[in-house]
Amino acid sequence: MRWNNGARLLAQLLLGTALLAVAARVSLFSQTPIQPPANLPASPQVQPAPPRYLVMIDPAHGGSDAGAALNPAMPEKDVTLVFARRLRLELNNRAIAAGLVRDGDITVSLDQRAGMVNSAQPALYISLHAASEGSGIVLYTAMLASNGEDRGRFLDWQTAQSGALVRSRWAQQQITASLEKTGFPLRSLIAALRPLNNVTVPAIAVEVAPTSGEVSQLGSVDYQSMVCAALANAIVPIAPALRQGTVP
Amino acid sequence: MIPRQWIIATVILLALATAMAIYVWQLQRKEAATPVPAAAEPHVSPPAPGPTEAVTVWVANDSSGTLRAQTISVPVSARRQQRAEELMRGLLGIYTTENSPHPLPAGAEVRNVYLVDPGIAVIDLNSAFVVGQTSGVLAEELTVASLIETLSSNIPGITRVKILVDGKERETLSGHADLSGFYDVSQVSELAKQLTSE
Repeated sequence: MRWNNGARLLAQLLLGTALLAVAARVSLFSQTPIQPPANLPASPQVQPAPPRYLVMIDPAHGGSDAGAALNPAMPEKDVTLVFARRLRLELNNRAIAAGLVRDGDITVSLDQRAGMVNSAQPALYISLHAASEGSGIVLYTAMLASNGEDRGRFLDWQTAQSGALVRSRWAQQQITASLEKTGFPLRSLIAALRPLNNVTVPAIAVEVAPTSGEVSQLGSVDYQSMVCAALANAIVPIAPALRQGTVP
Repeated sequence: MIPRQWIIATVILLALATAMAIYVWQLQRKEAATPVPAAAEPHVSPPAPGPTEAVTVWVANDSSGTLRAQTISVPVSARRQQRAEELMRGLLGIYTTENSPHPLPAGAEVRNVYLVDPGIAVIDLNSAFVVGQTSGVLAEELTVASLIETLSSNIPGITRVKILVDGKERETLSGHADLSGFYDVSQVSELAKQLTSE
């Protein structure tokens, strides 16, 4: 009987020690919040993209990611959102259905952006950026080899764009050719810029910089209208091919 | 009635567990309070005196958004890794001078360059380099292309390059250029051609 009591007490002691050790471990890691995996589905505040837009516009950055500080009062995230809304308007005015990846100042991760675009499957994805350096518009496609490894139904996340890269570069060339006619300062480059390489549809990025050398020009409604109208006009001629899926 | 020896054992075990918890907590506080030696000392060793050679480095220009070849003198190095470090030091010497075409702050440094066979180079930047980097797609592309093209055009055999910051992986250089993966040298050379042809 006495041995039984002792054994019970020893078991209780061991249990108590284990609990204390667990408490200490919890305290040790309490300042390092557990991060969710990067590839979780979009957070509830992110609006799911409506199905089948012809063009999906993605204002880069947003929420906790301000992007470049173009000037102290002008974070890149605000400029890209203004340009994105105006480009959507210009496209809608030309009977081209366009949607936004974000339509407010919310945080959307790069993986979430790519996930939304890949779910919506638009005919063209446009990632919008703004910069204080440079002049005019720079059009980018992903820095990838167009003949990526064939893995059947399974795509490598980092090179998911490979299968659409030829069509992305076709769209880049067509838009460049159209914009060149306007005399607007323009360049076409490749870029290691996410989420371009994670998107499975034709994808380009557009970086808009002032032509006057003054960053404040990016906040000018006239400049925004001119840039977005020029981009929309350049997309109109390729819209039928995009719509019918007959892009080379 | 609980025997006395069991009470003593209980007290000792509880005291040990409490002491261990306090010790772990103190270790945690001590680690959190220890400053990270970020950009304290230049990691790439100073240039060695001796004969020099002329090399071509690829210099970014922010105002024109282009990459231009420039010939500079660097100390002759017998080892590939030492040569890589001399190249990076020479390039950053241009960027950290007054009136630089692609300015970086004085504290910007390449901490180390590792050449890992077969064909992999790892460039480890310090945090001052990243903080001083102009944020933007083109501005960051110019930096990446300048570093990688300078390295790969002077050291044969490099096919892929990884860029770290303070020895750690980073998602982007300054919000745009992707640093999460390896750069394929042939792709960067294509970009460099586009940047030099403008």
